[in-house]
Amino acid sequence: MGTDITLTPKQQEIQQRARDFTRKYIIPAAREHDRTAEFPEFIVKKAIEAGIFPHSIPKKYNGPGYDILSQSLIAEELGYGCLSFANILTGNLLSSHLVLIGGSEEQKKFYLGQITSGGLGGFLLTESGAGSDAGSVKTTARLDGDAYVLNGSKCFASFCSYAKVMVVIASTDLTKGTKGLSAFILDRSHITVSKPEHKMGIRCSDSVEISFKNMRVPKENLIGNEGEGFKYAMMALDVARTTVASVALGCARRALDEAVKFCKERTDITGKPLYKHQSVAFKIADVAMQIEASRQLVNSIISLKESGLKFNTEAAMSKAFSTDTAMKACTVALKLMGSKGYSTDTVVEKLMRDIKIYQIFEGSNQVQRLVISRGVFNS
Amino acid sequence: MDYVMTEEDELIQQNAGEFSAEYIEPIAVDLDKTGTYPKETVDLLAENGFMGLCFSSSFNGAEASYVSYILALEEIAKVSAGVASILLNHVSLAAYSVNKWGTADQKNKYLSELCTGEKLGAFAWAEADSAPGLNESSLKAVKADDNYILNGKKCYVANGGEAGLYLAAALTADEEGTKKFSIFIVPANVQGIHIVRKIDKMGLRACPWVEMSFENCEIPVENLLGQENNGLIMIKEAYLAANIAEGAVAIGIMEAALKEASEYVKNRIQFKRPIANFPAIQDMLADIAGNLELARLAVYDAAGKITKNKPFMREAATIKKFLSNVGTQALIDAVQVEGGYGFCEDMSVSRLYRDINGLFFTESSEDFAEQIIAKEI
Repeated sequence: MGTDITLTPKQQEIQQRARDFTRKYIIPAAREHDRTAEFPEFIVKKAIEAGIFPHSIPKKYNGPGYDILSQSLIAEELGYGCLSFANILTGNLLSSHLVLIGGSEEQKKFYLGQITSGGLGGFLLTESGAGSDAGSVKTTARLDGDAYVLNGSKCFASFCSYAKVMVVIASTDLTKGTKGLSAFILDRSHITVSKPEHKMGIRCSDSVEISFKNMRVPKENLIGNEGEGFKYAMMALDVARTTVASVALGCARRALDEAVKFCKERTDITGKPLYKHQSVAFKIADVAMQIEASRQLVNSIISLKESGLKFNTEAAMSKAFSTDTAMKACTVALKLMGSKGYSTDTVVEKLMRDIKIYQIFEGSNQVQRLVISRGVFNS
Repeated sequence: MDYVMTEEDELIQQNAGEFSAEYIEPIAVDLDKTGTYPKETVDLLAENGFMGLCFSSSFNGAEASYVSYILALEEIAKVSAGVASILLNHVSLAAYSVNKWGTADQKNKYLSELCTGEKLGAFAWAEADSAPGLNESSLKAVKADDNYILNGKKCYVANGGEAGLYLAAALTADEEGTKKFSIFIVPANVQGIHIVRKIDKMGLRACPWVEMSFENCEIPVENLLGQENNGLIMIKEAYLAANIAEGAVAIGIMEAALKEASEYVKNRIQFKRPIANFPAIQDMLADIAGNLELARLAVYDAAGKITKNKPFMREAATIKKFLSNVGTQALIDAVQVEGGYGFCEDMSVSRLYRDINGLFFTESSEDFAEQIIAKEI
């Protein structure tokens, strides 16, 4: 991919830095970490040195203060390298943004400080019975003197074997449904984690279960007001969805690059290059078209955000469209590359395993369609 | 329609189902996890007649129809597409070719060994760095007196390393840029065959894939299959016949996925009701079920055509084109309805998702399905 002329010199420089970082540190390590499912402990330090971690924290809290477009450029390059590494390096955004939305000045300094100094920030919303139905959280937080007492269990918590801090959503009033949910800051001392799940993709970003049994969390760890946790979470998810869209866009580009390379190098047995077969070329054209459309959707959200306008419907569109596009790109690449694409000789089979979860997490693509259709019918 | 299920077909289907449940299902997850070739299971398949199911009893076959074989394959694929893939490569590519184009002597000697399962069959066609025949390292055969001397490499050879008998497609002529191939029957124990490496892959992990080399392998002229320089036509037909069998594996996988996913959605409560009640979920499952039903008719019908010795190229290409799309989509959706749980290896759909993508490859422009279909219509 060439240089985008609409980028400022500064944005171009950031994009190049992220691209170099990905080429140097992620792409060479991704296959082995996929095989072993071992968390890449080296990566955060390297990403800090390269100035691309954390990618979303404002200058005021010692972050790099990148504009929204630069943030999405970084996310895209990380996604190009490996969806698992990208999940680790951008996954902070959800909890840190929630703290930015609802937290006190002191909480922001503490939480974001942990992240800018290289800690990962986890987000604990999902429970075994609360997936798409995120409002049916059963974990409770009961005020008892100077602390909230937490009971319950969270699951599919990304990279939480390694997270230094996290935000948990728990109910302070079960009778009020989503309006009874509150958000709390936790640190490592509060939790014990289960063994990681065995997953078919994003294998080096561990997914764990975290249980609370009469665990006391200081009262001052409540973010904002009781009963506002769900609202903050949904707002943070709108922002996170845009990042997921950018990461998936990177994956789609990678799949397309792999397929293009293959179809240029490979010929049929008469010596005619594969890309000169229309049935091949048009499949590639479809993917390229959808990738461009995904990019424009991401860019339109960036404009909305920068103008301070509402963007939750568009964020849902972008998340679903980018991740569906990436799935399509992986499928096309795999089928064009045949046995080679299916084997571990190329990255394509890994892309195909990794991308599946992107259609599921951060709000499944069915939930996105629910959000979009509500936006459409209520407008 | 060329498909009628006979009593014998039904019996074989039932036997295959019971066999799979008893001997394959208990080890399927482990085979996938470890990528182990299940030698004992393949021996049991042989003992029960599956390795030569649809071939003549004159060559130790069970004399059943190609439909019976397809039904058996589907039953096996329901529990392990990896094991089904072993059988498919053995029957539909190796044994099929010897049966179709072999001389009486070749069949007596080699088809008989394949049918008893004494030897596992493999078909070596794809190459690592180019379409077959175009690379320095491509497998080539040169005639020298009573032998052909084979030199070069083959890659992504399914059943490779475990096979006792290879059908190797080698370049035998290059006339003004037109490549001509010939197929050779190569016992695994001839001098000069080396397994270069085992190849790891996304799924179908019970079925081994290898890269292999041939170094001055002397193959007697009587091991030439069919006519010299006539390989491409045979390869095309064998791979199309295999597409029908791959269709059976795909529908087996889709059935298993549909079964698990529909159980899951009945038990998964979100928004105070089973997610099975949501039209969006019903829509995805209905698509899987509908495509499965259509694919099944097409696969059985094409198998009926093979049984009756009727042309089946267009039907096979249609199966490939249709199922390669809807099969992959079925598993994308089956994992989707199971959500984060479906993405974990505790659920079968994650394995089935990896498996189904290992079917219907196009290894050269010779088997672009749309071209085959277009030519006939």
